[in-house]
Formats: sequence, C-alpha cells, structure tokens
Amino acid sequence: MRRVLVAITLIAGVAACGGAQSMSPPSSPSMAAAPPPPPPSPAMGGKPGGQPWASVLAKTTPGTPAGPASAPHVAMMLIYTAHLTLAVFQVEAGLDSVEALARSVGGYLSNRTDTQVTIRVPRARFDEALGSVEKHGDVLHRDVTAEDVTDEYADLDVRLKNARAMRDRLQQLLQNAAVKEAIDIEKELGRVTEDIERMEGKLKLLSDQIAFSTITVTFQPIDQNPVHDLARLPLPWLKDLGLAELLNVKEATP
Amino acid sequence: MRNLLQKVALVIVLLAAAASVGCGRPFDIKTPSEMLELKDQDPPFAYRAMTPDGVVVAMRVVDDDRADLGFWEHAVTLRIRELAGYSLLHESDVTSHDGTKGKELVFGHDENGKPYVYKVRVFVAQGRVFVLEAGGAKPQMDRYTPVVDWTMNSVKVTCRALLSPVFASRTCNRW
Repeated sequence: MRRVLVAITLIAGVAACGGAQSMSPPSSPSMAAAPPPPPPSPAMGGKPGGQPWASVLAKTTPGTPAGPASAPHVAMMLIYTAHLTLAVFQVEAGLDSVEALARSVGGYLSNRTDTQVTIRVPRARFDEALGSVEKHGDVLHRDVTAEDVTDEYADLDVRLKNARAMRDRLQQLLQNAAVKEAIDIEKELGRVTEDIERMEGKLKLLSDQIAFSTITVTFQPIDQNPVHDLARLPLPWLKDLGLAELLNVKEATP
Repeated sequence: MRNLLQKVALVIVLLAAAASVGCGRPFDIKTPSEMLELKDQDPPFAYRAMTPDGVVVAMRVVDDDRADLGFWEHAVTLRIRELAGYSLLHESDVTSHDGTKGKELVFGHDENGKPYVYKVRVFVAQGRVFVLEAGGAKPQMDRYTPVVDWTMNSVKVTCRALLSPVFASRTCNRW
C-alpha cells in the first residue's frame, strides 16, 4: 500500500513539473495537433510592401532572420486573424461572395449575420483570400493580427505527453493493486484522464486556429456616434450631402 | 446728338442694373425631356429635377471662396465615405460644359437593403462651390445613365461669353 502511494506521489510530481522539462521530439502519431502548414508568404499571391499586412507577415514568417544567425530554428505557431470593415453597398451580394470565396480556397463559413460574415481559410491561402475579400467592396478599416502561440503550443504538447505517461503508469499499477489501493489509483487515473482530455481539446483548438485563419468582414452601418475620432468640418451643407437629402423631394406649394 | 448719347447711356445703365441685380442661378443646366424640373426647392438646392421613377439630379451652390477643388473633393469624400459609410466606387476628373475642371465621385450605398447609386460632381468657380448631385435606386440609375450624364454634362459654372466681364458678372444667367 505504502509503495503504491509513494509511486502515485512520484508520478504526480513528475507530471506536475513536466512543462519545465525538456522532452524528446514529438513523435506520437495520435497527437491531435499535426504540424501546421507554412504561413502565408508574398510568394503565395501577396503583394510584399504593397499591402498593410505585409509588414505583419514579414515579421512573423518563419525563416525571416529575427536574431543571431546561430539561433536555432523554431517553427513559429501563428494564429492569423483579420477584421475588415466595408462600406455598405450591395451587402447581400457581398456576404454571398465572401462565403463563396471561403469555399473556393478550401475554407468554410464560420458565422453569418445580416451585416457580418466570418470565414475560416487555410493558413497557406490567407494572404490570397484577404486580397480577394478586399476586391468585394470599399474597405474602410482593416485590422490584421498574427498571434504567436509557439510557447503555449509547446508547453501544452509537453504537458500532454507527461500526462499520458502518467496515465500509462497508473494503469500498470492498477493491474497489481489491492482493492483499497485500486480505489485510490482509479481516482487519480480519473483526474489524469480528465486533464488529458482537456489538454487534447485545447491542443486541437489551437491547431485548428493555426491551420485555419479567420477573416471577419463587417459591412459598417451609418455611424450614429456623435463623437468621432477625427474632427469634421463644421459646414452644414457637407453634413447634408447624401441620398436622404437628395431624394427627399419637397412638393411645391401652389 | 446729345439726345442719342443720353439714350445709349440709359440703355447701358439699365443693362448694368439688370446684370448686378441678377435674376437667375449662377450656373446653367439643361433639363432633359425625361426629367421634370422641380420649382420652389428649399436651399441649398438651386436646382432639382427628377424622373418619374425617382432619379434625382440637383445642384447646390455654396458661397465659399476659402479653398480649392482638391480641398472640397477631399472633404466631400471623407464626409460621405467615412461618416455615412458609402462605398466609393469610382472617382475621375470631369470638365463642365464651359471647360471648368471638376471632380466626379460615384458612391454606392444600401438603403433598406436595396442598392442605390449616388454621384457627386464638384466644381469651384466664381468664389463658389458647385455641388452637382445625382442619385437613385441602382436599377433606375443604370437605366437613366445616359440621361443623368447628359444633364450633368450640360452644366456651365462660368461664362465664356465676350460680354460677360463687361457686365461685372461672371455668372451664366444674370445678364
């Protein structure tokens, strides 16, 4: 009994600090997270320097020298997200074409409302898809981000391996344990299994976010906010420009 | 001889008075047969005409000599595009019928889920800003494109006539 408890304690201790240990290279075929494809590059259809997100991509593309030449090469895990705000014109057709674009590049529709559509596209075609979306309307605002999750991914990967090793060890102990010991082991086994499932889910989500970039397109409604980022010319006639004023035809008095 | 001189002087005075008073718009525009010019329109519209199915062409005249064409073009674009959320479809240089250089901005915007087109031409002349607008639902605007363009192209914002400087007016309808 004492030996079993000591063994559980030791295994738990090893698993708890697993994140800080150096592990052997990932080799488990059952790993939910396959290495993601290479990130977008100008060679994939982008316009280096010609598009606002080109600088973001340049900074985050693996292989781009980011430090001393002798620094070890680490594959970066990046989650690309883009938010585009388009002027309101032919919204329905615009939403349809963005949705169709997602399918044409091997992606899929994630969400759609009356004025917004979110698509997921393979990371390798993110640049191309973003360029195509811009052709669907007048882009008022653009926000492209690349979130580096390399550390989080690696840490999760190591912790998952440790947890699996612990589960295997506990299962071995369980085979030779007495009834009372078996209860304690099963309790611990249940906790570890739960941890493994949670980490697998998280890793799967991360892998999905890395493999498929998210593009959200919003057709901006008329700005009702009286306080604006930029001062406006205080000229009433400028404010009155637009279809509402033009088409609101006054009937002549007899 | 003295009598003749008096008559000539009187005619000149009357003409000058008519020119200075001004009885029309400071621009000229032709209304096509497919449109009806609307009377008694509230300022700032100095002219407004429409087709039976709702395509409207209008002119605003703003007395403001503080800036040039580039300034007003930028101001109009910002106001319509960034504040009202209109989509800028096209912009180009245009010339009025009298040869004044201007800018044309073509916008698109959905109203109640339907696409509309809104054209704006800006000219600067006579110390004024001339804002020529045309708009309507996209199918109607597409159908009336030749009529709308013909109307917009007929606009004169300055007069090149020989006598216009003589009467101290550079406008088109005041002499």
